[in-house]
Amino acid sequence: MSEPTHENTEKPRSPAGERWVWLSGSALTLALLITLTLVAVVLGHGLSYFWPKTIEKIVLDDGSARLGQVSNRDVDPISGEPRVQYKIGNEDWYGHAFEWFDRSMIVETSIPRDAVLLERLSHGRFFGFLTEVRGGGTIDLGAVDPWDRLIEAQERVGELQKTVDDYEAEMHALNRRARKVGDQLAKLLYDRVPEDDPRVVRLREKRAALLGEIDAILEKSSAEEARIRQVATTFRDADGREGEIVVADIVRAVRPNAITFTEKCSVYASRFWELLSEEPRESNTAGGLFPALFGTIFMVFLMSIFCVPLGVVAAIYLHEYAKDGPLVRMVRIAVNNLAGVPSIVYGIFGLGFFVYMIGGRIDDLFFAHRLPEPTFGTGGVLWASLTLALLTVPVVIVSTEEGLAAIPGGIREGSLGIGATKFQTLTRILIPMASPGILTGFVLAMARAAGEVAPLMLLGVVKLAPSLPLDGEFPFVHFDRKFMHLGFHIYDVGFQSPDIEAVRPMVYVTTMLLLFVVATMSLTAIVVRNHMRRKYATGSF
Amino acid sequence: MLDPSYLNRIRRRERIAQRVIGLGGAFVVICVLGILFQISWVALPLFLEPDAEIRARVPTSGEVDRVVAFGVGEYIETAYVLTRDGALRYVLLEDGKTIAEERLASPGADDASIVGVVRHGAGRYSLTWSDGSVSRERFAFESTFDDEGVRTIVPATSRELGLAPDEGDAESGAIVESTLLPADESGFTRIDRLAEGGLRLHVRAVSTSIFGDSEATDHRFDLSADLEDDRIEALDLATDGRELVAITDSGDLLRWEWDFSDSDDIREPVLVDRVRAAEPGARLTAVSYVFGDESLVVGDDQGRLSRWLPARSETSGNRRELTRIQTLDPQDGSVVQLSPTQRDKSIVSLGAGGTAILDHTTAERRLLEFDADSRLVHASINARSDALAALDERGTILVWELDVPHPEVSMKTLFGEVWYEGYDEPQFRWESSAATQDSEPKISLVPLLFGTLKGTLYAMLFAVPVAVLGALYTSQFLSPRMRGIVKPLIEIMAAIPSVVIGFLAAHWFAPILQQSMTGLFLSFALFPVIVLGVVAVWDRYGAAGRVLGKRREGFEFLLLAPVIGLAMWLCVKVGDFAEPIIFGSDLQTFLFEGLGVVYDPRNSIVIAFALGFAVVPIIFTIAEDSLSNVPRSLSAGSLALGASRWQTAWRVILPAGAPGIFAATMIGLGRAIGETMIVLMATGNTAIMDWSPFNGMRTISANIATEAPEAPHLGSLYRVLFLSAVILFVMTFILNTIAEIVRHRIRRKYARF
Repeated sequence: MSEPTHENTEKPRSPAGERWVWLSGSALTLALLITLTLVAVVLGHGLSYFWPKTIEKIVLDDGSARLGQVSNRDVDPISGEPRVQYKIGNEDWYGHAFEWFDRSMIVETSIPRDAVLLERLSHGRFFGFLTEVRGGGTIDLGAVDPWDRLIEAQERVGELQKTVDDYEAEMHALNRRARKVGDQLAKLLYDRVPEDDPRVVRLREKRAALLGEIDAILEKSSAEEARIRQVATTFRDADGREGEIVVADIVRAVRPNAITFTEKCSVYASRFWELLSEEPRESNTAGGLFPALFGTIFMVFLMSIFCVPLGVVAAIYLHEYAKDGPLVRMVRIAVNNLAGVPSIVYGIFGLGFFVYMIGGRIDDLFFAHRLPEPTFGTGGVLWASLTLALLTVPVVIVSTEEGLAAIPGGIREGSLGIGATKFQTLTRILIPMASPGILTGFVLAMARAAGEVAPLMLLGVVKLAPSLPLDGEFPFVHFDRKFMHLGFHIYDVGFQSPDIEAVRPMVYVTTMLLLFVVATMSLTAIVVRNHMRRKYATGSF
Repeated sequence: MLDPSYLNRIRRRERIAQRVIGLGGAFVVICVLGILFQISWVALPLFLEPDAEIRARVPTSGEVDRVVAFGVGEYIETAYVLTRDGALRYVLLEDGKTIAEERLASPGADDASIVGVVRHGAGRYSLTWSDGSVSRERFAFESTFDDEGVRTIVPATSRELGLAPDEGDAESGAIVESTLLPADESGFTRIDRLAEGGLRLHVRAVSTSIFGDSEATDHRFDLSADLEDDRIEALDLATDGRELVAITDSGDLLRWEWDFSDSDDIREPVLVDRVRAAEPGARLTAVSYVFGDESLVVGDDQGRLSRWLPARSETSGNRRELTRIQTLDPQDGSVVQLSPTQRDKSIVSLGAGGTAILDHTTAERRLLEFDADSRLVHASINARSDALAALDERGTILVWELDVPHPEVSMKTLFGEVWYEGYDEPQFRWESSAATQDSEPKISLVPLLFGTLKGTLYAMLFAVPVAVLGALYTSQFLSPRMRGIVKPLIEIMAAIPSVVIGFLAAHWFAPILQQSMTGLFLSFALFPVIVLGVVAVWDRYGAAGRVLGKRREGFEFLLLAPVIGLAMWLCVKVGDFAEPIIFGSDLQTFLFEGLGVVYDPRNSIVIAFALGFAVVPIIFTIAEDSLSNVPRSLSAGSLALGASRWQTAWRVILPAGAPGIFAATMIGLGRAIGETMIVLMATGNTAIMDWSPFNGMRTISANIATEAPEAPHLGSLYRVLFLSAVILFVMTFILNTIAEIVRHRIRRKYARF
């Protein structure tokens, strides 16, 4: 073989078929590019949601003015003109929160320093200029500057609000007791205890007393609330129209054009914290996601309690106990099918089996006095968890088997050789050694379950649950309660809302959160597994 | 020496462990079988034969001919019998005891007897009296509860309307039979069959002015001229009183329409249809509307039953004319009587042979045959359609309790083309919740199956090439270091919840696709060309390759990333620019105006990418596994013989790994078939049957997800949804089992190496 020389006119050629290698490589590139784009889109939309964007004031060619944040730019499909979409908020004043303007319509754009962005309890965001803050006889405000007065008022109102919150907590507790008494009463009456039975009479009296107490507190609470609502502000919009906004309705007031980068960061952080810790507002289009996040995590953990032991035992059977034969092949086919059966089939199975059959039976036996209002005979967190447990058992089986397979055969033989029984080997040697595999399965199963939505739609996921499945009320864990779920939240808010424009940012945020939860779990599992593989890689020789 | 009790304990523990673990293995099999069993068990009653049980035999006093009407009450506890002389008797079915007796009198003369009876269902009758007067009666039972909650049944007879004879009708026998239908206030619609073969329509329309005065207008028409000398055999008036069908002795089916409800827009009766309905040599004997009054059933003397519906055809243009849409299984002998049920599209027919039969017309399902040891001469179904009373030739009333839970479900309605009311041809349709009360739910699973296949197919078109080529590249060419990064990335890709993909497909990708369709199509088409072009350029100016040298091997996909990204971006820009030039306006308008294709923003192209994207990692992982497991010796041999790395991969590795790729594709298919959230979110979810990539579909899975939460427990829809789940289960079961068997073979095959 001679070295190709520089005199050689023939160009250097790639080996045969090299271009096809590239083509096949491009398939991988495409798949990864799409994945990264998706993640980027979600992160881009989701993360920017919290950032306090600059408020622009625009003056239009007809002389009117608007205050808002740029939300979209594109080219009008009909006229071909470039146009800008502004979020102008103030839905209660204008009737809509978004507006498109042709670039040519905008005469003047400015960035007023004192423009205020309000996040409110209802009617979404407000953009305007603060003119006045009144104590309304409820509080005295010391500050002079309206903005300082607003901040002071917010603080004071926050303190006053605590009393109302205390009242509410009290009412909630009383209500709970009244409900419990009502339930006991219903049970007695169901057992055909006559109306004049002392127990019935006592319960009735007790309930009436409780309800009376609730009414008394409610009165006090509303009086206090009315007092708080005296504290109000006056805002002016870009066109000079003025209106009153009650301080208690303001969740957060920001002047994005006047604050520094660090202050913006702190607003960002506080909004993010609100997302993780607060309840949703305004039919899930604003506020936090805490109940959905909690519901997801609670359901997933409950599920893993059922699915991990089952999966581990089945994997041990397959890998340690069963002898290769038709039976094992059948089990393997079953495992594969369990993994491959569409999740919606699990959903409808859960509906037919857990909800109607078992749940219906439980209701007949223990909660007959509440019928026809079902207790367990309707979707709930327990049934959802059980169904998802079946769905994720194969994930645990596969991972555990992998963990068991990674243990060098010599270790088993060594253990058996010094006289340990099979079970002893299993419990003292194999399971501890395979624990990373089991852990991987556990985490992967949770990741799978966290992202599953379709079966839940039949099994008790709701758009807004009145209470969490875990709380301070006896018996603390409420298996029969309906729950909220991040994935269902995406579907519900993104597809059942009347104004998709307004809710889209919120859905992106939910998507981001769900993606984050699932990706973190998956990554953990991958890291644990790779670590396990490396650990035993040398042992197999 | 070890303590024997200790040894025993260990042994016992060992045995228990063995059992428990064995059970754990068995549990997996039980789960799969259990799921299949449970969902099949729920779906099964759809196919169970309906059941009827004789609940009572009530002898009537007097001969058979004297009984003109009888029926069962709603709770199948009571019955009524009306005889020709106007004697009405209410009896308890349990013991045949009479609980009440009264005598109906003619609105005219006192001594008149009943000469004609028309049954309207739900205990309502039009009676024609011998003195020429006509009345409309209702025989019902009312339940009352006393303080202790004990229910007593009280018969309630009410005359809804009574009309004294008109002049000239007074002499006995002038009117053979009248049909009377009360309308608002004192209005009514009345059809008289006259003794000499004539037919008369009398409508009294009552209009109320704004001052509260009501004014009655009588409209009388003689329809005899339309008969053209034929004699009426039977007729039926629609329950809205604006339509009449009749059959004649010459075998014709006639239909009139009129409308006097709006005094400003009166439409006088017009004969809208006259079609030959009789088979050659047969005589028509009975006609009846089916519940809903849109279609009707005609019976003839050979026992044939056919269903007719006003529908447009190619020849009729825009006009609907009566068309035979179904032929039901024949009756036993001449059809004597037809009566519709008041709940669904079922009809009870009575043959001259003495058998009553309950047929569901749409489902073409023979639900029940009522055989008694004696010949039945008259049959009547109650308002709730749960009991049938029949009079036999010996004068005994037999009462059957019916158990027909899902009459509308049959193989025909589930899987066949059905000609529904309101349509002009048989169709596969899924519309589980009917728009109006009397239109029936349409439950064909075919459009759902079609949608499932369509979505899956489009998705696989994208997923299989990408996943398989990607897997080939990863297993054969990718540098090991990169593989350590790529494979976890693919796993993360697999973990992306489908609800996320569905949301992005619908809210991010679909609008982009709609806006830059030309550009995106361009980039899909040009994708391989661009990649190959880049490689060609690379080769030509191989100097760059020299610089990177061998190092670029295994990193090609990274080098391609900016190229592909840039090229797609360019294509979209070029497309946006070129679209108005090529198509005049935009592609969407062009598709609609030029090709008549409707563009739905949530269409199959979106599904192809979204669903495809969801199954890529599944196919990829399994295919990559099987390609990596092809023994090293094979590729080493090939390379040693001088084959290039592509030749080795394409000719040696790929064929060897083909079964694994097949298994991967099967599993991917299974996933695509069952995927719910993506199709639910990224398609319009309309159950249409159209291969066009520019519209959506409704899949079985999405259908279950949307309808199951609303379906009434144990209702027909609920069970049909379970049936569709069984189909889904079986489809994926087959695919997964094939895949597992193939993979098992491969494992065994390569175990030798």
